[in-house]
Amino acid sequence: MKVFEMSNGNTLSLSLFTEVTNSKELLDSMQAGTLEPEAAFLNASLIPDVFPVLAAAHKTLIAKSRESLTTRTPHSELVYNYSGSKHITESLKRCGIADSSNYVLAARFNASPDEMEAVGKLINGKEIDLDELESRANQAQIQKHYKISSLELGISSLADAITCRIAARDTL
Amino acid sequence: MEITANSEDGSLILIKQGAEARVFESTFVGRRCVVKERFSKKYRHPSLDSKITLKRLNAEARCMTKARRLGVSTPVLYAVDPVQHTLTFEYVEGPSVKDIFLEFGLHGIMEEQLEDIALQIGNAIAKLHDGGLIHGDLTTSNMLIRSGKNQLVLIDFGLSFTSTLPEDKAVDLYVLERALLSLHSSCGNVMDRILSAYRKSSKQWSSTLNKLAQVRQRGRKRTMVG
Repeated sequence: MKVFEMSNGNTLSLSLFTEVTNSKELLDSMQAGTLEPEAAFLNASLIPDVFPVLAAAHKTLIAKSRESLTTRTPHSELVYNYSGSKHITESLKRCGIADSSNYVLAARFNASPDEMEAVGKLINGKEIDLDELESRANQAQIQKHYKISSLELGISSLADAITCRIAARDTL
Repeated sequence: MEITANSEDGSLILIKQGAEARVFESTFVGRRCVVKERFSKKYRHPSLDSKITLKRLNAEARCMTKARRLGVSTPVLYAVDPVQHTLTFEYVEGPSVKDIFLEFGLHGIMEEQLEDIALQIGNAIAKLHDGGLIHGDLTTSNMLIRSGKNQLVLIDFGLSFTSTLPEDKAVDLYVLERALLSLHSSCGNVMDRILSAYRKSSKQWSSTLNKLAQVRQRGRKRTMVG
């Protein structure tokens, strides 16, 4: 896992898991609100790099500091922000985890090392290095979800294209 | 467990101050960035002022990302803050085309580089125009050459808008022509090279260039007589 320092002393901890077998349980307990400690689970095949996740997290922290979150918790807001779309249900479905997900990025704001370890224990899977994001990303799925044309990829990386969409969502 | 030291100290260093906005250098989750803040105009009614500022802020973000979708390189947008009226985007390393051309004026022209830049400018404008996007402020100081990749990056979409009218495209080109003429006449006729690249690249070149001939006769503003 890795901890990223964000603005105003906040942090974001990220852990990447593959071969996850209990995503249905995770999803159920998350929807019931009984997940302890609370965390965000993202569909990692849509994530080619940590940077767009950090941009989404930055947006989330600003909204939280202004008490203007669109969704109920900062963690669901992170998933919603990462999607780059305004459709909350659809965002959580596509960028969050589903019953059948086996490749998951777990994220938690301001987590202590113990808490992040506890998050890791919730997930039945194998933790791998964040550097694997790029090679494991599903480019076709990303291009379809974010509507990224090959024309744009001629001048931009996949991660930068996603970052632009996350940042510009509310201006459209 | 590792902690990446990318603390965002939030320090802002003023780079430039214009009539509409201030531009700062800062860091955004570990990356060097540029923050553009549109400030309020005290001479405007407050409610009108905030409306206009927000509208232009959003329009700029939209046009910047639209240009990327059309295949024209612009800085990566990192964040838009509608409360502080700021845009945060990538810090592009590299000189402006203005600096390069001025250097040519002082120390002689590097023919190959000049040709390459003119070609990139013509192609980029053609892509924007064919996609219905007008830059609105095409000057050599709003064009950067990314170090290492030698890639043209267009900046400052503060005056951009969408339009498919040949008139708007022609005025866009005319503004660039005037800018080149007044600042870089020592580089020879760069505009001709840009236009020939534009003609090859744009599908609608003919109506735009016809219009450009008319605009040259009368200037940027349309005469509204009668």
